[in-house]
This record gives sequence, C-alpha cells and structure tokens, in this order.
Amino acid sequence: MTQIAKTENMAMAAKEIATRTRTAEGEKFRERVLALAGEDVKTCIQCGTCSASCPTAHLMDTPIRKLVKLVLEGEKEEALSSRSIWLCTSCLLCTVRCPRNIRPMAVVAALKTIYEEEGNRCKDSVFEGIFGRQIRDYGRISEFLLSAEYMIRSPSSAAQIMAFGAELVPKGKIELAFDAAKGERIEGTEEVRRIFELLGDEGKSKKTEETEEATI
Amino acid sequence: MRIGVYVCHCGLNIAGVLEPDILTEFAKTLPGVEVARDLQFTCSDTGQETIKEDIKEHKLESIVVAACSPRLHEPTFRRVVSEAGMNPFMLEMANIREQCSWVHMDEPPQAQEKAKDLIRMAVAKAALLNPLTGETMPVSREVLVIGGGVAGIQAALDLADCGLHVYLVERRPTIGGYMALLTDVFPTNDCSICVLAPKMTDVYNHPLITLVTYAEILNVDGSVGRFTVSGVKKARFVDEKLCKGCLNECAGVCPVEVPDDYEFGLGKRKAIFMPIPQAVPLVACIDPESCIGCGLCAEACPVDAVKYDQKQEDFRFDVGAIIVATGWQSFDPARKEEYGYGRYRDVISALQIERLLNAAGPTGGEVVRPSTGDVAKSVAFLQCVGSRDETVGNPYCSRVCCMYALKNAQLIKEKYPEAEVSIHYIDLRAGGEGYEEFYIRAQRLGINFIRGRVSEVEEVDGALRVNYEDTLLGGFRSKPYDLVVLSAGLEANRDADVVGNLLGLSKRPDGFFEIAHPKMRPVEAHIDGVFIAGCASGPKEIQVSIAQGEAAASKAMGLLVRGELALDPVVAVVDSEKCIGCKLCVETCPSMAISVNGTALVDEAACKGCGTCAAACPVDAIGMTLFSDEQILAQIHAATAVKGQYPFIVGFLCNWCSYAGADLAGTSRIQYPTNMRAIRVMCAGRVDPAFVIEALKGGADGVLISGCRLGECHYSKGNYQAYQRVQVLKGVLEKVGINPGRVKIVWCAASEGEILAKEVRKFVRELEEMGPVGTELAPPGSPQPSGGGS
Repeated sequence: MTQIAKTENMAMAAKEIATRTRTAEGEKFRERVLALAGEDVKTCIQCGTCSASCPTAHLMDTPIRKLVKLVLEGEKEEALSSRSIWLCTSCLLCTVRCPRNIRPMAVVAALKTIYEEEGNRCKDSVFEGIFGRQIRDYGRISEFLLSAEYMIRSPSSAAQIMAFGAELVPKGKIELAFDAAKGERIEGTEEVRRIFELLGDEGKSKKTEETEEATI
Repeated sequence: MRIGVYVCHCGLNIAGVLEPDILTEFAKTLPGVEVARDLQFTCSDTGQETIKEDIKEHKLESIVVAACSPRLHEPTFRRVVSEAGMNPFMLEMANIREQCSWVHMDEPPQAQEKAKDLIRMAVAKAALLNPLTGETMPVSREVLVIGGGVAGIQAALDLADCGLHVYLVERRPTIGGYMALLTDVFPTNDCSICVLAPKMTDVYNHPLITLVTYAEILNVDGSVGRFTVSGVKKARFVDEKLCKGCLNECAGVCPVEVPDDYEFGLGKRKAIFMPIPQAVPLVACIDPESCIGCGLCAEACPVDAVKYDQKQEDFRFDVGAIIVATGWQSFDPARKEEYGYGRYRDVISALQIERLLNAAGPTGGEVVRPSTGDVAKSVAFLQCVGSRDETVGNPYCSRVCCMYALKNAQLIKEKYPEAEVSIHYIDLRAGGEGYEEFYIRAQRLGINFIRGRVSEVEEVDGALRVNYEDTLLGGFRSKPYDLVVLSAGLEANRDADVVGNLLGLSKRPDGFFEIAHPKMRPVEAHIDGVFIAGCASGPKEIQVSIAQGEAAASKAMGLLVRGELALDPVVAVVDSEKCIGCKLCVETCPSMAISVNGTALVDEAACKGCGTCAAACPVDAIGMTLFSDEQILAQIHAATAVKGQYPFIVGFLCNWCSYAGADLAGTSRIQYPTNMRAIRVMCAGRVDPAFVIEALKGGADGVLISGCRLGECHYSKGNYQAYQRVQVLKGVLEKVGINPGRVKIVWCAASEGEILAKEVRKFVRELEEMGPVGTELAPPGSPQPSGGGS
C-alpha cells in the first residue's frame, strides 16, 4: 500500500468514527429508548450483572449490558439488528439484580417496540398475531388451532419446531383432541375483546408494549 | 436611630430574581434610614469596608443587611459592625436569598414585593435594637470519647496529651475496634495490630485517660460545655484489678466452647475468654450467655479474680465535649443470596479472610477452604457486595474494599505463588497516596483483574463456580474457584443508634451520622460540642479515621482549652416592678434558669434565650434582650403594613429547626408561594398569643407557627408549650367568631425544607377557601372585603 493510500484510508476511518459518534438519528433513538425504558438507564455502570444473570445469554450475539451501552451511544443500527432482543424471555432476573435499579429488560422491550415502530416485522409476529387473535376471540388458546394456523401461515418457521411439538403430544402438553379444536370460549369474551380494542390492533401495537412497560 | 441598609446582589443569586437597586431606593423611604446601598457581594472585603466607612461617615447606629440567611452570615456582619466600633448586636438581617429569591424564582414581581416587606420588617426591628454584651461561662475541660476503635483511640490520646482529661467508653471488652482484628494493612502491608497495640497500651497507661470498657451509655443531659453522661459498665465476672491476663489457667479448664465472634465464626472460644491476645485491658471476661456456672475457672484462677457475683456498675461523668467514634458494621453478605454466603462453606466474607491470613487467626495464617481444610489453590474476590447496590439499599461506595481486596490478594499471592487469584470488579478505586502504586504491585504479582460484576456463585459437583460477563471482552463466563471471598461493604453501625438518639445526631440517607457540612466541617455534628470521627460518619480507611480522630480532638480542644465559653447575651430579663411572683415562668423554663424569691430572677448563664417564659408571663413582666416583644410587634406591624398579596400569612419560625428548614428549602431551590412573611424567633415557644392576635388584627389572613418536631425541641419542650398555647388560642378565636383554622402550627426539622414548603402551599390553599380575614365576621348579605390579587 502506498503512503498516500494509507493516509487516505486513515482519513476515511477517522471520518467514519466522527460520523458514528454524533448523529441526530442516534440522538433521537437514544431519547426514544430513554422515554420508554426510563431515564435511569443513563446511570448504567456497565457492570455486566444483567448479561451474566441472563438465562439466554449464551445464545445472544450482543450481551444485554452492551445493548444498554449501544443505546446510550445512539448506535441505533447495531442495537436494533442484534438477535439478542428477540431472545429475551422477560424473566426479569437482570432487572431484579441490577445494582443501579435500571430495568435492562425494559431496554430490550423498548428496542422491540422501536423495531416495530420502524415498520419492521419480527420473525415471531406471525405467531404472536395468531396467539393474540385467539385470545381475543375465545379468551383462551387452543394448541390445535394455533399449530394448524401457524403451519399454514408460516410453514418454514413452523417446520423448525414441529419435531419438538411432536415430542410434547404424548406427554400431554399439547391437547390435540377434537373438542379442544372447536374453539371453546371462556365467559366474558366481550370484555376481553374490549381490552383488545382499547389496546389497539390485534393487541400488538405500541400501546401494548407501553402498558407492559408500566407494569414492570 | 440612624440606620444603614445594604441590599446584596449576591451575584445573580438575588439579583437574578429581585431588583436590588429598586429595593435600595425603597429602603431609603423607610423611617430612620440614613443611608441605603446595593452591593454586589456584601460579605466581600469591599462590601464590608463600605459598611464600615458608612458607619463612621454617617454616624450610623444600627445596620440592616438584606442578603442571605442570618444563620449563614450574621456572625460575619456582627464582626464587621463591631470592627467599626459599633455594638455587634446592632445588626439585623433581612433574608432575601434563602427565603425569597431562591424559593420564588418563577414569580419575580411577587418576590420583589415580599423582599420589600422583609426589608421594612428588618428596619422596624433595627430601630428597636439594644447594645448587648456577652458574659462567659466556665466549662468542663473533660471530654467523652465514645468508641475505642482507632479513631477514638487517636482522639483520646491527642486530647490527653494536651492536658485534657478524657473518658474513653467502649462497648466491647477490649478497645482496638476492627483494626485490631485485621491482618496486614494497606498500602504498606504492615501488621495491623503491631502498629495499633502501642497506641492501645498508651491509652491504658495514660494518666489523663479513664478507660471504661464493656460499657453502655444510657443518658446524656446538658449541652455544650456541660454535658452530664451516665451509663453502666457491664459485669465481666472477673475482677479487673486482680486478673493478671494469663488466661491459660481459666480458659484451659472451661468446658464450654462457642463460636468466636472475634473470628467471625471461623474459630471457637471458651465461655471465659480474652477477646484478643493484645486486649486492653488485658482482663478475661465471662460470657454469661454460654457460661454453665461449673466453677472450674474460679478454682483454677491463681489470684481468685473470678467473681460470679460481680454486678454491673453505674458511671456518671461531667464533660464539656463529646466525640462520637462509634465506627461501622459489615454488610451481611448473606443478604446477597445469589452469592451463597452461609449456604456454601467456601464462600467467605472479607473479615473472615482477614482472620485466615492473620498469623494469630484460627488457621495460623493458612488460607484454607473451610469445607475441606485444604489450602485454597484458586481464590476469587468479589467486589461491591452490598456497596454500590440499590437492591440492598446501599447505593454508596464503601471506599475501602478495592484496597483491602488488592491487599489480601497480594498477601495470598506472596504466600502461595502458585495460587490463582482473581479480583472481579466493576471499577477499581485506588485514590490515595501510594494506592495506585499498590494496584500496580498487585498487577505485577500476577493477580487477575476481571471487569464484570459477578451474577451468582454456584456449586457444581462440589466445586464453586463464579458466573460473570467479562465486560471488557464481552461474553458470559463461568469460572471454578476453591475459595470465594465476598468484599462486603461498610454500613452504619446500628448499635450506635442509641448514642445517636441520646445526642440528637441526624443521619444521612445512607444511615451514617451527618456532619455539620459535607465539605467544610468534616468532624462537627449539628449539635454544639459534639464531634464525629472515623467511620461513624461514613466508610473510611484507617489513615483517614486517624486523621479524623486528630481533627475531632483538635476541635474539642479549641472549644474547651480556655476553660470558658462566651455566652450568648440573648437572655430573659425580669421587670421586678411588674412581676407578681406567680412562678408560671419557673414551670415553663426548660433550662431551670428562673427562681422566684418574691419576684422572679433569671440566671443569665443558665438561660438559653428561648423566650418561652416571656410568652408565658401573664403580666408581661419578662422581656428578652433580643427578640423582645417590642421588636417582634414592630416586625408584625411592618409586615402587615401593605399586604400586597392574598392570602397574606405572617409566619413565626423557630431558629433551630424551622428557620433552618426554610433556609434549606432555599438552598435546595424548592419553590413555594410568596404569601408568607417570616419572623425568626428562637423557639416556637416564644410566640406570645398576643403576637398572633396582633397579626390577625393587622389584616393577616393566617398565622403559621413552625417549631422543631415534637420531642426534638432545641430547648426540650418549647414546641409543646407552643402547641398548648395555640390550642387555647384557637378556642378563643372560635368564640369570637374567627375561623380557628387561620392559626396553624406545624413541625419541621432543619432537614425538612420540603415539608415547610409543602405546609406553606397547603396553608395558602386552605386560606383561599376561608376567604380574607374577617369575612366570617361579616353579617350575611353584606359586601365582602376584597383582598389584593395574588
């Protein structure tokens, strides 16, 4: 590499670093997450208790601790593209143990919300949509109908978990009886429907997420 | 009276909200005002010189400074006027900063009106001031030091070396505190007891130190210069004078073994025991909880020192000052359940590793796994256990754990070079002389530093595993160790609560005793004559505790060394012509300063100037040298002269708690309505019902009286008397048809600025509902008197 090319490369790298540190988009993203997850997130000391406590940490590409840092630095793209946010089981261990009383789980939830606000659909949105509609209509879940509809709407995803589902049937974890497939309703489905109406479309909107926030 | 008025800008602290130049022009119109000026910083040298020059040039007789709180700068300006040849008591301050510009930042026009009133009130009082001269009072030159840890030991030695007699009272059977139990200490790794023991012996041998160990303080009376302290010395069941400290004889035959609390549960001791080999006094002690009374020790003792019938003894000292050096207690690591302390035997606390490393400890200095007794081949130190942790309510850093972990890691690595030693930390704090170098030394010794707070300790197949994220590399890890040491933080010593309550010390949110100023007055308590040293006021390393012991000793010395204290000339004076000898004042006086022989007589040295007697006297025969009836009435009249706001409130705030609370609302910038004009009195008990009636007659819509919280009165019971008087007064008001809700009494501590602000807000709302004063008297249908808009 010639000396000039090397210098140019360094200059470009420097420029990239400069643009990465302060963007209006990043700032907006940071403020949005703080609005959803709480201003306390700013007091994070990056101790790693959250990521070390997380039961799905070994599956994650970005530790939760790092997600918090990415948020504070306004690194929107890297934070939203992380697989970790979809692996959170909402067990709240991070939130219970955080020595600063930050709610790392709320940060993850905020990232999910923002991801969908941007018009993206997560891989699970098909499943969640079916799940939500069943609750709305029957007040309960029929595993039979759920599996069937999931298989029709998202065959490739459903195929991945079919073997696992098959294992559950003989153990009685999944009810395949015909009765259950008739769509038995609970009492007061009208009220459930009203709850869904209040929360918005298919129970899967910004508002649901926020309600979830508030109750954590 | 020729009066000078000085309105301070205080930079923008006052001038940012008020307009000092207009206030100055206003002041010039007030009766008696000879000269008025606005000054940038009145407390600066230039400001002070201006006042001094004016006093001489204009032959001023009294001075009004409209600036900050008199609790801050009254001493400064009293000095200034006395330097100009004037009596220091010819000064009055109008508090237009803490109680005006800082609390009404959003309402400059109303704040400006309030400031005018405050200045008018100060000028009215200034016109009635009298020159006063102070007496002096002889004080005890003896000092009580509570707590025989290193801070208390140092304070006692320094005081005694200067010739002051010291009583050193310690709860436990020996002095030395935690320092006596540590192994080597940072940053020099010298042996802790080796550097402490000589000081402990010095205490024992010093002719001016009376050492009282195994004792509790039960009562404290009096105030600065003359405290009376009493308590009990518990029975050791061993005669201190006879015991030779040989111990082998008695403990050798004792059949009872119990866990040794000086070894933090790692070792055992007998029912008759010596806490540590270097105990001072070197006297055995029988623990009555575990002794079975078999009598073997009494038979074995060569000098017949064992006395089963020994009783506890009372003690009582008169001292001039008290130093509180009550130390700390360890955070209980079992509270962090995820770390398994108390569940896994090989998870131990920092104090336990100190004992394991100590050559005099239960293992003779071997670092072993408690579960197997084998030497630990790998050791993890887990930092911030119970510190920097909101989940256990301790958000603060304990300050010493990084350093002691570095130290213990070094000691292990030096003793067992093959051992793997890691410190799991969030941040390493090594601020102090030689501390960073100490950290570098640990790095060079090959200690691992892993950045990441441990999430949990698990036992997998009999081995401990520490789970964490290496936050510098990223990614979850689980690492096996033989021994896990929890660097437990330092907490406020709960056993010191009794002493704190007896002395009236306040606590910070972190639970430690609060010092008078977090920066400028590091060893003084809020109470005169009481000083705090060492970890009683927060976690500290040994060298800082020693420095604080020295500092507290020096402050106590400065207070008592002359053997006398200048007395406040603010006292009660009896007019024997008017006195009818009813003795009501004698019952009222909290300081027992009044006696009646025909007519009442006030002991000026004992009188604290609260003025409760003056308020109680049925014939107005008792006057005050300052805060006199005339002065307060003049302030009330000045306050109600204009009534630029509705509802209009006249407030009476006690100097020690409520006025200080109002000042705190100012320094904390807590905003509240501008409706109140506050008059400072020494005690809520000073408020004569006549003042309240005068304020209502003058057109105030309400009167707020605020005193110390019940049980916390600076004069012990003045607030109760204020409460009684207000209740009686409310009854009278109701009878004449005035809404009794117009008089309100509240309690507010010096630390409760928010409460004072809240009470004012609430009172304003209540008065708004009641309507202007007198509306309740108006016959139905008649036109209502209109108040000024607020």
